[in-house]
Amino acid sequence: MENLVQLAMQNVNFAAIMPSLVLCCFGMAILLINVFMPRGKTTSASLISIIALLVTAVVSLQGWNNPQFGFAGHVALDNFATFFNMTFLLAAGLTILMSDDYLRREGYPIGEYYPLILFSTAGAMWMASGTDLMTIFLGLEVLSISLYILAGMFRHQLQSNEAGLKYFLLGAFSTGFLLYGIALLYGVAGTTNVADIGLYLSAHPAMIGNPMTVAGMLLMSIGFLFKIAAAPFHMWTPDVYQGAPTPVTAFMSAGPKAAAFAALMRIFILGLAGLQSEWTSLLWGLAILTMIIGNVTAIYQTNLKRMLAYSSIAHAGYALVGLVAANAVGVSGILFYMLAYTFMNLGAFAVLVLAGKKGEENLTLEGFSGFGFKRPFLGVAMTIFLLSLMGIPPTAGFAGKFYIFAGAIKSGYIWLAIIGVLNSAVSLYYYLRVIVYMYFKDPQEDYSWVSMHTGAVVSIVIAIVGVLYLGIIPGKIMEMAKLAIF
Amino acid sequence: MTAAIFYILSAAALLATLMAITRKNPVHAVIYLVHAFFALALIFFILGAPLVAAWEVIIYAGAIMVLFLFIIMMLELTPGEAARGPGWQRWAPVILLSGSIVVCTLLLMTAEPQAGPGGPNFYASPRDFGYGLFKEYALAVEIVSFQLLFAAVGAFYVGRGERTRRRARGDER
Repeated sequence: MENLVQLAMQNVNFAAIMPSLVLCCFGMAILLINVFMPRGKTTSASLISIIALLVTAVVSLQGWNNPQFGFAGHVALDNFATFFNMTFLLAAGLTILMSDDYLRREGYPIGEYYPLILFSTAGAMWMASGTDLMTIFLGLEVLSISLYILAGMFRHQLQSNEAGLKYFLLGAFSTGFLLYGIALLYGVAGTTNVADIGLYLSAHPAMIGNPMTVAGMLLMSIGFLFKIAAAPFHMWTPDVYQGAPTPVTAFMSAGPKAAAFAALMRIFILGLAGLQSEWTSLLWGLAILTMIIGNVTAIYQTNLKRMLAYSSIAHAGYALVGLVAANAVGVSGILFYMLAYTFMNLGAFAVLVLAGKKGEENLTLEGFSGFGFKRPFLGVAMTIFLLSLMGIPPTAGFAGKFYIFAGAIKSGYIWLAIIGVLNSAVSLYYYLRVIVYMYFKDPQEDYSWVSMHTGAVVSIVIAIVGVLYLGIIPGKIMEMAKLAIF
Repeated sequence: MTAAIFYILSAAALLATLMAITRKNPVHAVIYLVHAFFALALIFFILGAPLVAAWEVIIYAGAIMVLFLFIIMMLELTPGEAARGPGWQRWAPVILLSGSIVVCTLLLMTAEPQAGPGGPNFYASPRDFGYGLFKEYALAVEIVSFQLLFAAVGAFYVGRGERTRRRARGDER
């Protein structure tokens, strides 16, 4: 009989999972350290988490142009995974920076918060680097379960409880769809490896039109489109985004969305390339629906967190346009857009974190009357992020939308690009309305409760630099995004 | 014949699950769910996975369902009003389901499922299963074990008692 340890080590290549491994080890270390720290003191945990993210970034960059494969082809640290890993790390970093003071203000200085953010980042990494449906599914579960806990973290607030429970129930439901789709595809191809499924389908063209293949593809896309918050699977988004703690909402809007896009792209482009005409027509319709529902509903919102939730639905629609285009510009445009969206959306949420009172009842449009004059730095920062969300040059949002719509036009989807641009025009209304309230209304309060906490300010500055850098000199990052796609 | 047994068992599993989610009495629902798990276990056996079949019975139909029953008893969820209609109407589905599952089990015990058309083209012995689990799917096993760790962390946080919480607040002041 073979030595079991030897057997288990045959396929192991730790370099391929090193980034998530480092994050998990740090996460567990923080869990242990928390035991010995006095209750309510979480600053050291947040500092260690930042160090963890920096170490992971260094480790992850080893995979750039140096692809690592391992674990019987279940995981790959290639350029694609590395690019997305950087996006996740950035989202987690900005989230952790803005969290410390916020958690103390809201009365929940909990040590478990930081490890859970690290764990969900590790799950996102497994989704982006998984080359097997099994790894991608488990990555999604790791990501989601941490987020269910984080969304319901304020245990004594009804809204937070509602957010956690709603996200958990609907998320579990959508995971069922995803798993069913995976099972059907496994039944068709006899393998869960994404590349092998692609090879099987190109070798057996008769299976492409098979209802089982198409049903598998459809069910699997439901699972991912739920996480992306694309219509008509977006119903959970506003309630969960509004009820969850603001930094968690910020992370939720950037990290899982990018992770689900990564998995969707890898599966659709590598595994289901044979069904391209099917999934293109599906996503074409959903992209338009998502953009319209997100933008039109956002107009009616008065709560800023809720408005940003609908805006995040709309942005998912823009990014889907790139996947419909399915050419180099469009697909690398998604990578670029996810990075840009991480900067601008987390920046906007960081401003909301600082502007909120305890309990956050003031995060409405009226609550922001005259905010720009009383708090000039935060006002200017919010304006920059909102301009970027609109897609006004010279900000990252413009460059991202430009690449994605250019990709759509190149593939001949001119109407899709036109609808996308018209939707951006609609979005001007509700983003500009915030700026109008901030600068053209008389202040009703003096915003004396706003304390410029270092961590949140640092994350706002990083986000401003990122938004402007990606907006003014997008070429370098775009070149990297082009190297990152398959 | 294997194919016929498969269809009977699938129908039994679907019927049992349908009954489980429509019953008002939670104990009845659990009993139907146990039937569904037995039918599924036999399907796994037909597909050539005896180990998974055994686990389906031991873990799902055995351990988890007993846990369900304990929780139902603890919460006293049984509805007060008795079900209406003649007795045979309530007993018929259970008897039908258990009867068909028992008959299928006996048929499978007498016949060799591996032989003949409709049988599995791969038979996963426990050893094959172990190799597959720890060789090809080693990473998946690791991720699952890891996931259980922090699911426990989350469950601990969400379910932490009120007294600990108040003491924590006292420490802050």
